[in-house]
Amino acid sequence: MSKPKIAIFDFACCEGCQLQFVNLEEELLDLLSVADVVEWREAMSEQNDEYDIAIIEGSITRLEDEERLMLIRSRAKVLIALGACATIGGVNKLKNNFDDLDEVKKCVYGKDAKKPHLATQPTKSVGEVVDVDFCIHGCPIDRKEFTYIVRCLVMGKTPEIPDYPICVECKANGNPCLWDYEQVCLGPIIRAGCGARCPSNGFRCFGCRGYVDNPNVEAAKDVIDKYDLNLDDLKTKMILFGSRQEPTIYG
Amino acid sequence: MCQCCSEKKDIYLPQLATVVKADDMNVTEKYLQLTMDDGQFDYAPGQFVEVSVAGIGEAPITITSSPTQSGGFELVIRKIGNVTNAVHTLTPGDKLGIRGPLGDGQYPVEEAKGKNLVFICGGIGLVPQRSFINYVLDNRSDYGEVVILQGTKCYDQRLFTDEIAEWEKRDDVQMLETLDEPDDRWNGNVGVVTTLISKITTELKSAVALICGPPIMYKFVLMALEEHEVSHESIFLNLERKMKCGVGKCGHCQINDVYCCMDGPVFRYSDLATMPEAI
Amino acid sequence: MSVKKLTKDDFAKFVEALIAKENVIGVQAKGDRFDYAPLEAAADLRLDYDVTLQPPKKFFLPPRETLMTFEIGGAYTSEHDDETFVLLGVHPYDMIAINQMDELFQQDNYDTHYMKRRNNATIIACDVMTPSANVFASSMKTAVVKSGYDVLLTDIGDDYVAEAGTEKGEALLAGVAEADAAALESRQAVWAKNEKSLNKHELECDAHYLPKLLDRAYDHAVWEEIAKTCFSCGSCNQVCPTCYCFNVQDDVNWDLKTGQRDRAWDGCLLDGFTKVAGDHEFRNQRADRFRHRLYRKAKYVPAKIGGQIACVGCGRCVGACLPDIANPISVYNRLIDDLGIG
Repeated sequence: MSKPKIAIFDFACCEGCQLQFVNLEEELLDLLSVADVVEWREAMSEQNDEYDIAIIEGSITRLEDEERLMLIRSRAKVLIALGACATIGGVNKLKNNFDDLDEVKKCVYGKDAKKPHLATQPTKSVGEVVDVDFCIHGCPIDRKEFTYIVRCLVMGKTPEIPDYPICVECKANGNPCLWDYEQVCLGPIIRAGCGARCPSNGFRCFGCRGYVDNPNVEAAKDVIDKYDLNLDDLKTKMILFGSRQEPTIYG
Repeated sequence: MCQCCSEKKDIYLPQLATVVKADDMNVTEKYLQLTMDDGQFDYAPGQFVEVSVAGIGEAPITITSSPTQSGGFELVIRKIGNVTNAVHTLTPGDKLGIRGPLGDGQYPVEEAKGKNLVFICGGIGLVPQRSFINYVLDNRSDYGEVVILQGTKCYDQRLFTDEIAEWEKRDDVQMLETLDEPDDRWNGNVGVVTTLISKITTELKSAVALICGPPIMYKFVLMALEEHEVSHESIFLNLERKMKCGVGKCGHCQINDVYCCMDGPVFRYSDLATMPEAI
Repeated sequence: MSVKKLTKDDFAKFVEALIAKENVIGVQAKGDRFDYAPLEAAADLRLDYDVTLQPPKKFFLPPRETLMTFEIGGAYTSEHDDETFVLLGVHPYDMIAINQMDELFQQDNYDTHYMKRRNNATIIACDVMTPSANVFASSMKTAVVKSGYDVLLTDIGDDYVAEAGTEKGEALLAGVAEADAAALESRQAVWAKNEKSLNKHELECDAHYLPKLLDRAYDHAVWEEIAKTCFSCGSCNQVCPTCYCFNVQDDVNWDLKTGQRDRAWDGCLLDGFTKVAGDHEFRNQRADRFRHRLYRKAKYVPAKIGGQIACVGCGRCVGACLPDIANPISVYNRLIDDLGIG
């Protein structure tokens, strides 16, 4: 079996997910024993247009990025969206909550807002522009899950990515429910796979892995009533990673 | 230190088998002939095995050969998931993990003796049925009239065409085949498998009916058999479910109170009356 | 089997001695809750606990365990846990859950992975001193336990009554003085009290009637109605002492030649639990999955284990369910109200 060629590309993001590759430390060498990385701006200077697997970090916020992404898609056999910005639009989708993007730009960049390189359009996840074969969720991604997925791909196997909520992993870890401690945790509607890292450390789930395929949004509304909160409280908690995601509680 | 466990076998541990023959039947179906490395494998028509590909996983596959045949056992595997994709890369001499044979719900080999048999197969439903069909044909005098109905979606998905041709030639078998979406290579019956039921020359009312096909097919076949007043005790269906352990523990294959892996995969229709999840 | 009595001071010494020679896992405080954890000192033990966050099943069926290792193209090798351990502080309802699991993992096909851990365990059970907020063991007839434990402790004030349930337990209690009649009477009083008072949710029928009730309830509107707010989060499955469904997964090492096959807890409430390759999902409605769990507890599993109801009334699912719909008692009572008894 020849080693698959992997190319890593970044779009609008903090590059924190790629940083998780570097943080693999010794395991990065293991990874490189099963795959050849042929392009990776963050860690190497070579560039290469021939690759089997394209890993896309970041969301798509400019027209020229859409074109670049489509070119990558046409070259790659397998395309992977890496991290929340790529899989669900993530934090970058916050701006989609505003109708007037010029106003947003002015607010963020002040007098520089008119500069051409700051041209922008509503944020899209990678999947809203091209077909995505696999999503590696999270902000940042979970290194264990990432290496599992890489091993699956080199074995020619579709990885099992959970379609059940964070609660499963949280309860398996023996945690009490954070709702009992007055935290509006998004665990019940967010996709597991991170090992319930935040709730296991006392922080509510922020929803960085995106919704499960079939989240019960109606149930979420009921729970809000039960805990004497209102829909705005829930929206506030969901806005960071859940902005303009379908299905949405905004509609 | 626990002694009793070390004396008991690990129910999850596959035994190695060797691929004797591996043929592509069409784009999606692979035929495998296997022998167990330890030589031990006694099975009954209707039983299945958990096929294990190390590093990929396990998948439940019903045995397609008849225990009356010598030279190991045969599987036909549709390429549809991780394990089955991996199985498609196997060539003679390769090793494969096998657990089984599994499943207490088998074809009514004894009970059906002396009776007329109607096999109704949809698509790869022929694969499990073939085990009992060949068992019956190898013990031909034990059974009454034999009818085999095969409905397939299109010409290229037809399986065991040589065997079907042989069955067609026999005067002690009524073999009827139909295609749902035929092309110009086909000049036989057209339509779904239920359209063949009216062409059966055997008296149906007292016959034993054996059904295997996609979930959608069962409802229509059962309706047709109802019209011919076939008793529910004489109808046997092969049910598919998600299975992980195959030994009645993991819970995935449960149909109401019944474990498909333990009490199936072949069920008597009258037993399904208390299992609303079955069909 | 003998019944002994120890003062609380002597019990503390007993525990310290146990810790000195065994791997002891005991109930301890975890924040403002309680859970099982390796016990380092007798003083950390909290036998006055109400309920543990997780049931003790994880010591026999861990959330994730390796069943076997393999070499691709070569043989598979079984992996088993060989360590002995002492589980200290198991409440009667949890002990009864373990007894049920023992039967399920032994019947038809003997599960060596579960049973090896089980046989390597010494269980010191203890009667409930502090009822939890949601316990309903009295309704489920699981407030008092008569078998399965090696030792059963009952707090009778200044002393513990300790009864051996097995030879192993008998050996542990060797040298401890016999319990006197007064101590036995006090223990009887604790049992009598618990049989009535561990009942924060009261079942409106005899628990053994439940399978018959469910015979008539399959198409009742309650399943749709309640499951509307089900997150399918599986919390009820995960915290249940009698849920034992599992998934099996392979992973390989970086050499891509060796690897392992693991099993991990699964849950029948989860979306995809019944989905086969090709994506057909047999139980794809929330309501169907919701019903399946309550049928398993009071009809399907009981049929496998001689009629014992497989809900032991620990109340963990009641506390774990965010939309507050998991409580089996409220569903069963609703059915009793609508359908009547018999």
